[in-house]
Amino acid sequence: MHIEDGILSLGACAAWYGACAALVGPGIVQIRRKAQENLSYKPFLAMVGVAVFVISAMHLPVPVTGSCSHPCGTPLAAILVGPWAMTVISAIVLFFQAIFLGHGGITTIGANTFSMGIAGGLSGYALWKILRGMHAPLWLAAGAAGLVGDLVTYLVSALELALSLHGNVPLVKQWMIFFMGYGPTQLPLAVVEAIFTAVVLQAMASRRPDLLPGVLTGAHAQKGA
Amino acid sequence: MSNPSRINQPRSEPFFDGFTRAMLGAMVVFLLAIFASASYMGHHKMEAAGTDDKVNNLATTVSHGEHHPFIDLPGDSQLGAFSIANFFVGIIVGYQWLRLFGKPKEGQ
Repeated sequence: MHIEDGILSLGACAAWYGACAALVGPGIVQIRRKAQENLSYKPFLAMVGVAVFVISAMHLPVPVTGSCSHPCGTPLAAILVGPWAMTVISAIVLFFQAIFLGHGGITTIGANTFSMGIAGGLSGYALWKILRGMHAPLWLAAGAAGLVGDLVTYLVSALELALSLHGNVPLVKQWMIFFMGYGPTQLPLAVVEAIFTAVVLQAMASRRPDLLPGVLTGAHAQKGA
Repeated sequence: MSNPSRINQPRSEPFFDGFTRAMLGAMVVFLLAIFASASYMGHHKMEAAGTDDKVNNLATTVSHGEHHPFIDLPGDSQLGAFSIANFFVGIIVGYQWLRLFGKPKEGQ
């Protein structure tokens, strides 16, 4: 989902920057509020940011398709630090990946943040909230968030490319052409991300529920209290 | 968050406790999976390229224009830039540590 420079038009890049900025703003507000409530929130946020940086640059080989791709880590991060704060983390992560690793473009940070941080993070978080609201087990809600957040990231990334480049080809057809470039490799990795998200959250809930204030409800929250 | 009294206590648990063993085990499993996958792909002459690159190249064929980094540094100079920035940002973050992460003073 790391779209490089020179692929999207400058107008499209500016539009994605604008869309991204509109959602990063509430993230900054959320970080300020939570940091005032909880002194440990900022270091925790920094550590989660580091985790997202590493996870989203971690290329794993998928022998079925003969190519490599990476998980995102944003659904897990959205659950841990909050969905809006996640958008800020994602923008910072993608900025550093673009500047220092050449992973994704500089002009496309807005588009990449929109797909990974906003669409991926928020969709995963929304599913987590819905499933937890329906009293689904923690591992199931977390796993579903990881799976869906990962796939939505790549669906939106393919849509961003299709919106700019479909020309005379029907938008949906071009969208699916781009998504089929990602999909076969990404599907197994989405399953890996689901397992990873479920295991990490389950482990944190069991061993360090104090790191998840406001995240856990019911028996897990009582254990941490 | 973490209990300060717990942090200050000398730890009696062995170094290779359950958590450390689980992390090392997970790392070994992941590394074995990567080596096995890479070996399989190498044996079958698969490229093992990143899907991001594949789709970016596919998009380039559609857009009929070459893509290249907005700022492109040749060779190891990119590593040099990364190291320099990390070095100075690390010093600044260390210098400003209390301002960034410390407890606000009364009235602030």
